[in-house]
Amino acid sequence: MLRFIGKRLWHGGLTLAALVTLTFFVMRLAPGGPFSRNRKISPEVQANIEAAFHLDEPIWQQFGRFVWGVLRLDLGPSTRHRDYSVNDLIASGLPYSLTIGFWAVVVAAMVGVALGLAGALRRNSATDYLAGIVGVVGIAIPIFVIGPLLQATFALRLDWLPVGGINNGWHSLILPVVVLALPNIAYISRLTRTSMIETQRENYIRTARAKGIGWRRVLWRHTLTGALLPVIAYLGPATAAIITGSILIETIFAVPGIGRHFVDAALNRDYPLVMGITLLYGGILILFNIATDVIRAVLDPRIRNER
Amino acid sequence: MTDSLLSIRDLTVRFRLPQGETVAVDGVSLDLSPGEVLGIVGESGSGKSQILYAMMGLLAANGRASGQVSFQGQNLLALPPGDLDRVRGDALSMIFQDPMTSLNPYMRVGDQLAEGLIVHKGMAGTQARAEAVRMLDRVRIPDAAARARRFPHEFSGGMRQRVMIAMALLAKPRLLLADEPTTALDVTIQAQVLDLMAELGRETGTAIILVTHDLGVVARLCDRVVVLYGGRVMEEAPAEVLFDAPAHPYTRGLLAAMPRLETALTPRLGTIPGTPRSGGAVTGCPFVDRCEVRLPRCATDRPPLRDLTAFGPGRRAACHLTGVS
Amino acid sequence: MSVDLAPPRGISTFALQLRRFRQNGLSMASVVVLAAIVALCFLGPLAFPFTGEDADFDFISAPATFSWPHLFGTDDFGRDLLVRVLEGGQVSLTIGFLGALVAGVIGVLYGAAAGYVGGRADGLMMRVVEILYGFPYVILVILLSLLFGGGNIALFAAIVFTLWLTPAVIVRAQAQSLAQREFVQAARAGGMTGPAIVLQHIVPNCMSIVIVYGSLLVPEVILSESFLSFLGIGIKEPQASWGNLIQTGTAAMDTDLRLLLLPGGLLATVLLCLNFIADGLRDAFNPNDR
Repeated sequence: MLRFIGKRLWHGGLTLAALVTLTFFVMRLAPGGPFSRNRKISPEVQANIEAAFHLDEPIWQQFGRFVWGVLRLDLGPSTRHRDYSVNDLIASGLPYSLTIGFWAVVVAAMVGVALGLAGALRRNSATDYLAGIVGVVGIAIPIFVIGPLLQATFALRLDWLPVGGINNGWHSLILPVVVLALPNIAYISRLTRTSMIETQRENYIRTARAKGIGWRRVLWRHTLTGALLPVIAYLGPATAAIITGSILIETIFAVPGIGRHFVDAALNRDYPLVMGITLLYGGILILFNIATDVIRAVLDPRIRNER
Repeated sequence: MTDSLLSIRDLTVRFRLPQGETVAVDGVSLDLSPGEVLGIVGESGSGKSQILYAMMGLLAANGRASGQVSFQGQNLLALPPGDLDRVRGDALSMIFQDPMTSLNPYMRVGDQLAEGLIVHKGMAGTQARAEAVRMLDRVRIPDAAARARRFPHEFSGGMRQRVMIAMALLAKPRLLLADEPTTALDVTIQAQVLDLMAELGRETGTAIILVTHDLGVVARLCDRVVVLYGGRVMEEAPAEVLFDAPAHPYTRGLLAAMPRLETALTPRLGTIPGTPRSGGAVTGCPFVDRCEVRLPRCATDRPPLRDLTAFGPGRRAACHLTGVS
Repeated sequence: MSVDLAPPRGISTFALQLRRFRQNGLSMASVVVLAAIVALCFLGPLAFPFTGEDADFDFISAPATFSWPHLFGTDDFGRDLLVRVLEGGQVSLTIGFLGALVAGVIGVLYGAAAGYVGGRADGLMMRVVEILYGFPYVILVILLSLLFGGGNIALFAAIVFTLWLTPAVIVRAQAQSLAQREFVQAARAGGMTGPAIVLQHIVPNCMSIVIVYGSLLVPEVILSESFLSFLGIGIKEPQASWGNLIQTGTAAMDTDLRLLLLPGGLLATVLLCLNFIADGLRDAFNPNDR
């Protein structure tokens, strides 16, 4: 087990290293810098700014400086918001993003699994059809269509919930969390349903039923483990989907989270901030992939014994 | 028939398919005494496994069983699910065809065995697990105590089937159903596993119904044999008699297709021409298309299963040609 | 000659799968609706005497009166909404299908080559895929579209670059088992070169699985494009795409929901149809998975 975790960590580190390298060179090779557009500045000022951000050094030296910064978790100052470091900006936005993301995952997992199980246990029932509709709608209608529609309905027309922002406590959370959870509810319920139906056809479930231990025990002790493994495996990709979604959510609902910062930084070519958030997202994703693999290995002894 | 452990009357199993309904088992009647070993032989699709699944309440969702299966005075087909669960896994247990997929891959082998004891006998976990280890030892799993803490994928096929046998016999059932328990195993360990099953069955006084297409297996282990074709009983006889004097043309065909030491010099093994017809209700004898001695009325009149006293005790066959003379 | 060596599953199986697909009512209806939308997007604008970028100063922010010439009204620049949405559809649909095709081809070739060659090269090639998989997908698209300098081509390249991974992994698994099959070994013994075997034996035999997963790529590409355009990183004004039209609609939704509903509804319909078609294809190609 320790070896298994060690191997996953090593792979994760490799991916992160590749991400650091790629991000750095993409940002350096990308045309246009934060100071090259829309501004007439004298050569001296230009030189000063370049010196301040070490843009006058050879590229390998800049890369070394960057990697050293990453290792010390110091990403330097933002080029757009000069008075703030990248760390400050991330620290200010992360709590909002994490809160919305966390509740979205919780809602998506609970509702998704419940809908999927209900559908699989009572196939072709009303619940099953409802879950099917939620599944199709959640997957096919993008966040940036359904989000504004709900906003228009529940905030503008009915005035039940705030349109956006963060100033209304948990009321502000409802729309962003629901919209962010929706596509994941769709995926998770579909995945749970098919996986459940497939598992119920497995020979070992027949063996369990032949043991006469009652259908409840068959369900809880035998069927669920096998049926929920693919759902757990989806946790990794789900994290990625939540990250993607949170970028949109924060734009639609005007939440000052890191997703919003990221889009602003990308549009303004604020390279240090783009790199910082990229690495943060990458790190979160890698961490969740590792966590997912470990949970699966705990549940499935065959994965544990791989090599 | 007063000491009958199991009595099946007119068991019929139907499946609903998109193309219509198909009859897998067609009015089968059987009796079994305590401790007896009965073989059911037939080709794939003859409905032999479905008899066992119907008894266990394990038919596929589109399958329906009718008729009567009296086991220890209860009609299994009419029991509500809760009552059926009190029977299966306790007095009635089953071993399946494919040991590779029949054990839960996410659960320790010992726990899978102990589970039945905890539920049926109300044992505590530790006691049930100790019992499980003892049983694993009896099916000759080396180092049983350590092995019980392992997962199924760490066992070979033959070992897994021995685990299945241990699981099935753990509750000391009155009747064990074995559905082709060795077809998925290497030829070299088939005999080993079968002998073990029969031996343990004898020790616990468990009756066995062994479903197989392997006549060699039947000859080794069974007291009595039922030959099934197209979902119907073609012939029934004590094992030793059947091999010497088969009464039904289909049985004769089966035996001719079986390799034996005495006939090793014959250049060519017999085959039964044609393929079994599938599904659907048949008016005449289901074997008529492939029978070499058929009469015109075989296609229209269904031959009843008759006692063949002339051939000896306990013999029955369903053929217009036998029992008449 | 090489065709003769392939196992006998080509045409007859494919015809059977096609027939199964045709029996799926929902999927067939989706094909019809999708075809109608595609035709409308590409032919519809021809019926109007102006393009989506022409401003009509007589009609600024005209409401949807369903009267000629501005059926669904105009935006605040006086541009015809319907024509803009249809033209945006041209962009979104072209990028969707073309992107899925290019990403599919790259993925299939890469995966087939890795699976067929095997050994160290395969290990290295798959490690590259694994590392790229570890990246947050959207972040990668955004980074790449910044790298390529923005614009349609950059957007397209960025999307393709991030979406070829899944077909590559799937085809590689298939190719690995195919490489062990008799007809491939026969071809090798018969002196066929590696690339020829990959193209003539491995790739055709992966086709059914590629079609199933490829059909899921199309909505994914369309979604990525509109996602980026919505954020302002993809296709930019004045050129229309469903993504940036929805963005405009969102900004104006407190006064006029129609700017959001028309492009949003069309996008959702297209995605819905593509998902139903993908489901139908999956059921037709592996009937046991239902």
